[in-house]
Amino acid sequence: MTQTKSKAPSRNADEGSMAMTLDQSEARCVVRMDGEINIACAAELKKLLLQALASGRELRADLDGATELDVTALQLLWAAEREARGSGRGFTLAGRVPEEIASTVRDAGLERFPVGVDAK
Amino acid sequence: MSEEPTIDKFKQTFLEEAREILVELESALLALNDNRGDNELVGRAFRALHTIKGSGAMFGFDELAAFTHNLENAFDEVRNRRLHVTSELINLSLAALDQIKAMLDEAAGRGEANRTVSAEILLKVRQLTGKPEPRPAEAAPSPEPAPAADATGPVRHWHVRFSPGADLLRTGTDPLLLLRELKQLGSLQIKASMAAIPPIGELDPERCYISWDMVLTTSAAREAISDVFIFVADSCELTIEAMVEPKIEPKIEPAIEQKIEEKIEPKIEAKIELTTEPAIEMRIKPTIEPASSPVSSQVSSAAVAESQAPKAKFPSYGRRASDTPDNASSIRVPAAKLDQFVNLVGELVTVQARLFEIATRREDPEVGAVSEEVDRLTSALRESSISIRMLPIRATFERFRRLVHDLARDLHKEVELTIEGADTELDKSVIDQLNDPLMHLIRNSMDHGIEPPEKRLAAAKRRSATIHLSARHSGASVLISVADDGGGINAEAVRERAIEKGLVAADAQLTEAEIFAFILAPGFSTARQVTDVSGRGVGMDVVRRSVEALRGTIDIASKPGTGTSVTLRLPLTLAIIDGLLVRVEQAYFVLPLATTLECIELTRQDIEQANGKHVANVRGEIIPYIRLREYFNMQTERPEREQIMVAETEDGRYGFVVDQVLGDHQTVIKNLGRFYRHVELISGATILGNGSVALILDPQRLVRDALRTMSVGKRAVGKRVHGKRADVRAAPRTRAPCAAAQSAAAQSAAAQSAAAPSVAAETRARP
Repeated sequence: MTQTKSKAPSRNADEGSMAMTLDQSEARCVVRMDGEINIACAAELKKLLLQALASGRELRADLDGATELDVTALQLLWAAEREARGSGRGFTLAGRVPEEIASTVRDAGLERFPVGVDAK
Repeated sequence: MSEEPTIDKFKQTFLEEAREILVELESALLALNDNRGDNELVGRAFRALHTIKGSGAMFGFDELAAFTHNLENAFDEVRNRRLHVTSELINLSLAALDQIKAMLDEAAGRGEANRTVSAEILLKVRQLTGKPEPRPAEAAPSPEPAPAADATGPVRHWHVRFSPGADLLRTGTDPLLLLRELKQLGSLQIKASMAAIPPIGELDPERCYISWDMVLTTSAAREAISDVFIFVADSCELTIEAMVEPKIEPKIEPAIEQKIEEKIEPKIEAKIELTTEPAIEMRIKPTIEPASSPVSSQVSSAAVAESQAPKAKFPSYGRRASDTPDNASSIRVPAAKLDQFVNLVGELVTVQARLFEIATRREDPEVGAVSEEVDRLTSALRESSISIRMLPIRATFERFRRLVHDLARDLHKEVELTIEGADTELDKSVIDQLNDPLMHLIRNSMDHGIEPPEKRLAAAKRRSATIHLSARHSGASVLISVADDGGGINAEAVRERAIEKGLVAADAQLTEAEIFAFILAPGFSTARQVTDVSGRGVGMDVVRRSVEALRGTIDIASKPGTGTSVTLRLPLTLAIIDGLLVRVEQAYFVLPLATTLECIELTRQDIEQANGKHVANVRGEIIPYIRLREYFNMQTERPEREQIMVAETEDGRYGFVVDQVLGDHQTVIKNLGRFYRHVELISGATILGNGSVALILDPQRLVRDALRTMSVGKRAVGKRVHGKRADVRAAPRTRAPCAAAQSAAAQSAAAQSAAAPSVAAETRARP
């Protein structure tokens, strides 16, 4: 199993305010989001998701280390999930969802979690 | 920190905006004072306070936010009909408003706000609202509006539809925070519509594509709901409708919660197998039965909102959303930058004149074409730069409502301020300098002009007096008048006082106009008693100085027992005007184009027919004229053919005879400098293309001066019916204007070695 790790450039990775990585293995591509995922890194997240979609693999979202998701992140994940489903793949959660994130999704009134909650 | 300057800039913007909001608040409070049952006004006051509090807290003005919060609470009580609008509340609010102003000034580094005053105001506010102790939560600023959970109104269901505009996120607003704020008002069911989200490749990551349909069950009023969106009203679409009974089918929240909860707890992948339902099946369709629709079929809420929610139903939001679509395209610019811009345009106009001169001299068609093009462009540039500086006088006028209100209270008089022509536009720099003179005029009217209610009743007048502020355009000038229906000016008292002060000999024969002119003299006052308001004789001197500085004139008209009106005539702009360039001998003059009607030829034959009188027959109309050559005492022989420029003045139509009319000229007005500031007939000078100087004449003043120097009774006046009006010039003490003009011209002549008009002060044209 090969694993490539590409770290998207962030304003200041050392501060740890937010970080996004793409972990690719043979079967799946995991988008990991840590810290505050908001408008400041929306463009970056979009780039990462497009990259993940282009990989042709199953997509996973790892929100374990995320502390905040804002509207921009929600709609990007939503769009990516729709795209993945359209091409016969899945974009689902990997791992746990922190309570803050769950409550954000609830408060935003989304009818379902932006990415699939279950694995195929 | 590198972000500091940005923050400071935001703070600066906040301070500027807060001041504007205070103006709005003040006008709302004063209107509310006259119309105490008006909920719309209460709402306006509340929103203004709410905005100041919210943005104050956002930019770290915690003290300001806390202070405003208390006042906001009071208005919330009024809105919920638990507190009535009283004079006490209005006066207290106005005092609080002043205090907020002081706090803003302090934040801007000007002066210091008095904390004791703040404490006193807050104490009174709390007494009024019946909230004895500030709860800690209340004392601390909260960025959210006071939760209306305790509001006593009936519990209702509201359908709220919120679609953020394209640039909402870029302004730093988080729509989720707004939803959370809304949730505090009551029970909220939310459905987000994700349909507008484009494919990810085309998605603009910084734009919000999600819109929300919500059903809010609350006892709060519609205003409380719309106030949640107050900061984003311009960048979103919002509809709020009352509903009869909401029918939202399976609950939204548990559906998601259930699914996610399963994911929340353990971090094991095995758990995933438990969730087998495809996510899509979890979709629920909230259905809402609209209040207005008789159709019982269930339709999706979005469809309801589109078909059943005419925006016109909510004028306040409909207006906000649609009337200011280009709000984002207007920008705030410091006035100094604007001044610099206009100065540069002025320089450009001067350079263009030189270019034109060169092109004409060289007779080079190529340069000529360029010169013409540049001429056209500078002219357009000039017009647009001037229009940028034009502002309606409304804000200045509205400000005086407060002054009138406060003074009426202090002086125990009943006065109503009426405003007319508030949309009249004036150059910003003129408006800026108008505040002081108008204030003094109003104070004078309130203190000296208007009688106490008892005295008015005794004189068979209405108990409540009126001060009328008006503005209107007249040619290249704006007329601003302050009129009252008070006791009028006692001309005899003014005369006595003038004699007492040694301004005039006891046996001098004076016209009413000359008597009223004394009012403008420094230190002149007929008041035996100096009050707080006026009587020191400073006010009218300030008026005179300010108006002089603006190259304006003052007219005073008064009738004993009926009232006084003071009219200020001010130039529209102080920078650049369209002028007509004329020549007399080797001297150039500019007359403002706006007042010029026509140019006609004056032949020797015409002059002979007039039997030596200075009048011309223009298509049957007799027009008196002033020959500039004689007026400025130029001794040379006049040419065979002269030209008359007919101008419209306040005193009728008059002609000005010159040697030659050279054509229109974009005139950049340059001041003659302090030394010549009392030269009334000349409103400034301009530099021509060949480098020589042309004096800008003020036709109005030329005519007045000519009329004044003529003996009364022998006047050949223009077509105008004279009423009982006293015409007073701004600076009656200046008696030798032309001497200065001569010096100015001589100076230019020395510099440009061009012949100057030989001017003498003493000889005047006597038509």
